Amino acid sequence: MTDARRLPPAEKNRVNLGYLRLTDSAPVIMARELGLYASYDLDVELQREVSWANLRDKLVTGVIDAGQMLAPLPLSTSLGLGGLRADVITGLALSLNGNAITLSPSLSAAIGALGGDAETSARSTAEALGSWLRARGDSEQLTLASAHSFSCHTFLLQMWLRAGGIDPQRDVRIIVLPPEQMVDSLSRGSIDGFCVGEPWNSIAVQYGVGAVQASGYQIWNNGIEKVLGVLASWHQHYPATHLRLRLALLESCQWLADPANRDEAARILAMPEYLDTPVSQVAPSLTGQFVYSKGRAPVAMPHFHVFGRFQAGFPWRSDGEWLLQQTGALVGKTLSAERIKSLVQQTYRTDLYREAARHLQLPSPSGDYKPANRHGEVWELEPGIELGPDLSL
Amino acid sequence: MTDATKHPQALRLILVDDDHQRAAAVEEDLRQAGFTVLSVIPTGSGLLYQMAQQEPDVVIIALDSPDRDVLESLAIASSHNARPVVMFSESGDQRFITDAISAGVTAYQAEDISPRRVRAAIDVAIAQFSAFNSIKRELDQTRRQLSERKQVEKAKGLLMAVHNVSEDAAFSTLRKLAMNGNKTLGETAADVIAILEKSSRSGAEND
Repeated sequence: MTDARRLPPAEKNRVNLGYLRLTDSAPVIMARELGLYASYDLDVELQREVSWANLRDKLVTGVIDAGQMLAPLPLSTSLGLGGLRADVITGLALSLNGNAITLSPSLSAAIGALGGDAETSARSTAEALGSWLRARGDSEQLTLASAHSFSCHTFLLQMWLRAGGIDPQRDVRIIVLPPEQMVDSLSRGSIDGFCVGEPWNSIAVQYGVGAVQASGYQIWNNGIEKVLGVLASWHQHYPATHLRLRLALLESCQWLADPANRDEAARILAMPEYLDTPVSQVAPSLTGQFVYSKGRAPVAMPHFHVFGRFQAGFPWRSDGEWLLQQTGALVGKTLSAERIKSLVQQTYRTDLYREAARHLQLPSPSGDYKPANRHGEVWELEPGIELGPDLSL
Repeated sequence: MTDATKHPQALRLILVDDDHQRAAAVEEDLRQAGFTVLSVIPTGSGLLYQMAQQEPDVVIIALDSPDRDVLESLAIASSHNARPVVMFSESGDQRFITDAISAGVTAYQAEDISPRRVRAAIDVAIAQFSAFNSIKRELDQTRRQLSERKQVEKAKGLLMAVHNVSEDAAFSTLRKLAMNGNKTLGETAADVIAILEKSSRSGAEND
């Protein structure tokens, strides 16, 4: 821990921080519970939001100072896609992985009958779904839901479908639903499946209204998921407040990196003022004992959520560029390589991450880009910089 | 009846709000102003289906509605989505947008509709949402005042009983404490109650 007295004083101590009811909100919640905000002289008010649009608009209009955001959201907001436009930056990623794809019991049974087994391979379930779709011909299209248009959920869903030879645009219908409506919509049959963060997959599994067919971990291992977003103009006004906020959250992520702390985190996250769910729904993904379908034994997945390990806080520009390409493709916009590079440089502020890491004497990567889809094991990018496996489907 | 209702191209709207009373008030005002309100629905009741069936020109939606992410997905043109939707932010009038957001309402419109025509509808909604906000604020304030008054009465009663003083003396003690502590009378009363109740409890334990 750094000595807060040696940091420049915060320009403002009172900070409103927005987040959603998700298990990977753990860093912003635990920073409060562990007194980390207070140790940096910050009085942080956590504001639980119901939708990403809401969080973004409150950030853009200054109702909140900072927000936990989907990794593509600072980019799509800077482009003005879907809603209000504003320059949003991130100097800290909060988590890697954390999502899963869940399908209805009948579809899951069909996938199983065709040899798909999610616990061994996400490709096998995608391929089984592909065969099933081709065999049934032109009946009514499947409807799958993603938590937001410009999200890793959409991109993971597309990757998984393509791995099974399914065209995400033509062969299925992808809609957007807020996370809290997913389980209900699946049980009523208005959708056939979804890609969403936790605890919503585990809730569907526990109620027996769906079975997990792929985890984010299997589709894009150690993919960037949530980031801390602020307006570029807010950062200019309050650089010291922003630094203190990043330090508190970095420490919170470090604490969460220790598996021994995950049980306590699950207990706290479940409380009424945070996720307001039974601990049993938050625990499977957070403690890495994940259950794919009702009645099955838990599968050890210690990296279902990654906080603070594998340089998880570093906002890699290579990840940013990939997310921006996917975002552009989704709206049918071709962005030039230069435009992508410069927008990501403005938005993914690796310099701000390094500034915070230095204060905590944590090593950080010397470059802003890393190779993707090459490593099946933990590997070393440069001395002292250990990264996780990065394979994708 | 206003001109807009006679006009064949009156804007057709869907209103999404979980607050029934407020939704009814906004609907009434919109109709009065000559807009066609196709439906008024709460959150999570099949907005996508309603959009496909009714093809509204505008959706007015409470800012806190989770259905906003659903609406924004309709901004992406696709074969499933014949009429792309944009958030009402195209007018470029940042002040107006901020007014709407602080009132707690926003709107999405079909891309082919002029934002100028939509603005009048949002004006109606902003006015009604703001009115409800101020009613709520007044109600909160009244409640707070009422509970403060109760606290002060209770603190006075405790002071009178513990220190055996008159009501006037108890009240002036409270006032002096508030002034010295730079606190409101209500806050001071709460402090006094906490202290006196604690000491009377520990006194009882000692007995």
